[in-house]
Amino acid sequence: MEHLLDVRDLSITYLNKSRNVQAVRHASFTIDRGDSLGLVGESGSGKSTLAMGMLRILPENSIEMTGSALFMGKDLISISHEEMNRLRWKEIAVVFQKAMNALSPVHRIGTQIEDIYRVHEPRATKAEIHDRTMELLRMVNMPERVYRLYPHEMSGGMLQRVAIVISLLHSPKLLVFDEATTALDVVTQGQILEEVVAMEKTIEMTRIMITHDMSVVASSCRKVAVMYAGELVEIGMVRDVLKQPLHPYTQGLMSSFPSLKGEKKQLRAIPGFLPDLSDPPAGCAFASRCPHCTQQCLSQKPVLREMPDGRRVACHLVGGQKHE
Amino acid sequence: MSDKNTPFLTIDHITKWYPHNDGRIHLFRSREKRSWVKAVDDVSLTMNRGEVLGIIGESGCGKSTLGRILVRLESPTSGDVLLGGRSTAQMLREDRKAFRKRVQIVFQNPFDTFTPRDTIQKILMRPLRNYGIGASDEERLAMCREALEAGGLHPTDEILKRYPHELSGGQLQRISIIRSMFFKPDLIIADEPVSMLDVSVRADIINMLLDLAKKNNTAVIFISHDIALTRYISDHIAVMYLGRVVEYGRTDDVIAGPRHPYTRVLISHCADVDPDQARDSLPITGEPPTPINPGPGCYFAPRCFMACEGCRAAYPGRVELENGHYVCCSCIREE
Ligand SMILES: Nc1ncnc2c1ncn2[C@@H]1O[C@H](COP(=O)(O)OP(=O)(O)OP(=O)(O)O)[C@@H](O)[C@H]1O
Ligand SMILES: Nc1ncnc2c1ncn2[C@@H]1O[C@H](COP(=O)(O)OP(=O)(O)OP(=O)(O)O)[C@@H](O)[C@H]1O
Ligand SMILES: [Mg+2]
Ligand SMILES: [Mg+2]
Repeated sequence: MEHLLDVRDLSITYLNKSRNVQAVRHASFTIDRGDSLGLVGESGSGKSTLAMGMLRILPENSIEMTGSALFMGKDLISISHEEMNRLRWKEIAVVFQKAMNALSPVHRIGTQIEDIYRVHEPRATKAEIHDRTMELLRMVNMPERVYRLYPHEMSGGMLQRVAIVISLLHSPKLLVFDEATTALDVVTQGQILEEVVAMEKTIEMTRIMITHDMSVVASSCRKVAVMYAGELVEIGMVRDVLKQPLHPYTQGLMSSFPSLKGEKKQLRAIPGFLPDLSDPPAGCAFASRCPHCTQQCLSQKPVLREMPDGRRVACHLVGGQKHE
Repeated sequence: MSDKNTPFLTIDHITKWYPHNDGRIHLFRSREKRSWVKAVDDVSLTMNRGEVLGIIGESGCGKSTLGRILVRLESPTSGDVLLGGRSTAQMLREDRKAFRKRVQIVFQNPFDTFTPRDTIQKILMRPLRNYGIGASDEERLAMCREALEAGGLHPTDEILKRYPHELSGGQLQRISIIRSMFFKPDLIIADEPVSMLDVSVRADIINMLLDLAKKNNTAVIFISHDIALTRYISDHIAVMYLGRVVEYGRTDDVIAGPRHPYTRVLISHCADVDPDQARDSLPITGEPPTPINPGPGCYFAPRCFMACEGCRAAYPGRVELENGHYVCCSCIREE
């Protein structure tokens, strides 16, 4: 079966005056129709860059993008801007991490939603848009009065929910949430995710969920990809990866989670820091922080290898079958 | 300045009402007849130096509004905030600069916290210069480098040269916290300060904040949706619902033995990182809540699984439990 999205060897570099920051390096993954993928990884590891790059909203004169991202047969990286504009919001919708500032401060929420709706449905009536919006507002647990508010009159979580409403207006095929629920309480977040998961079943929507919150991945995604310093280091079924992480970075991530029950241990971090992305190391990017680092890890870059359970891991120490 | 029995911070019956714009013109209507958004509705809390108070609650329940009032970026509709027994309204009038230094806020949204036109170096150095922290520019720069390093922002020279839009959300959040701690303030309001940080770097930042609270005796108000994290770092927890504090107590009492039905719902919805873990979430139903003229009864009653007739009559008063733990619910009796 053809994948809905097939990302191959995608690299994105920010070209700055002094240095070039290689924020995403050789990322390859696929997602099928109706599937859900959680994308997790350390702050600054390139998750938002990956999303923004695929949507072509990074300033093109200051970045370099190579590789491909086939979406329903079209390469998002090379299609024209006109074509991209046709896809954006209608077929692919995103809630960006910056969603809290994406709205214009001088227009009411309702007006802004109408404008965005009309980009793809120029003949839609006010009533039609209003009905659709109300339906979605109820879904994200917000009262109707929001329609008449200005952005500055809303809380952080309310703004995020407006961004979620906008992303769902046209029932897109691919939905990307970049930290879209960070300002929501667990009850509201749970309600929204439940609705979104239900939509995935009815309209075969596919979702990429960028988040730092593993419990969100655990409760709402089928697959998970772990990113470290611009590279994918582990990708597989949520069940396998969260229960038995294989990459040392994923292991560190899972073991430092605070819990609601049990005794309060000291909060633990993974010692060390992300490598300088303008000069990434020759070997494994995680080597300098890895408790199991060997000589080979420092000199040779590990590639993603397939494990018996189907997941792929980039680590010299876990073996597996070389892919392709 | 203040005697032993006065708490360091007293939030005294704070309310913040915004006029509700329902599209009609209100020229001839009196204040009583107009409708209001009661963003913060009669909140009273106290805390001591060196303590961490966690505030949790539904999105839109007034946490950030309360935070802005505490640092006096907004003034309350009524009520006052006292620091060391003195009115902050008055402190601000007397010496704005000194007050701004003593009380810091880390904003919820890191993307509009900083001036987009300045480099991180300028952003960090300016307040240090303005407040005469550090003897020379070299010393100040060294302070910036050290703080960035401690926050895992590396390589520091590179970060200092960047503009805010050239950093990720979590990197900006760390810079925001670092900047607020430079002043060794007496009170920090941290509004979702680590919501975009994954656990592997969050611990360092949180430990820096706790360190400051201990060494400098700073009072920290920690607003968060991450209840497990709030449990780890706060001494007390206040739970808000539609502008009101509905439950307050020592962290362990509130988390292990929540009494208000809203708190119980909230805690029961906390998901685990184990995908197979079954959850027994308590139900929450009904229309989305709105802070426009809520009441007269308990604001949570329309969505509450325990609600009875009595709940809709009058807003419930405090029911005192053990260790200063209290809850505002008519279905709960004193022990
Ligand atoms: N315009 C830019 N110029 C140079 N470097 C940049 C630019 N934008 C982002 N970066 C760097 O690229 C890296 C990846 O950033 P990105 O925003 O994709 O991270 P992220 O994984 O989304 O992090 P977070 O979880 O904190 O949001 C970061 O180290 C960031 O500092
Ligand atoms: N300037 C304003 N004018 C009118 N209403 C406002 C204004 N600022 C906030 N509100 C309203 O006050 C209520 C509380 O907002 P606040 O930002 O304090 O919530 P919050 O608890 O921080 O929520 P979140 O967790 O989503 O950030 C919301 O209903 C919001 O719509
Ligand atoms: Mg990001
Ligand atoms: Mg807020």
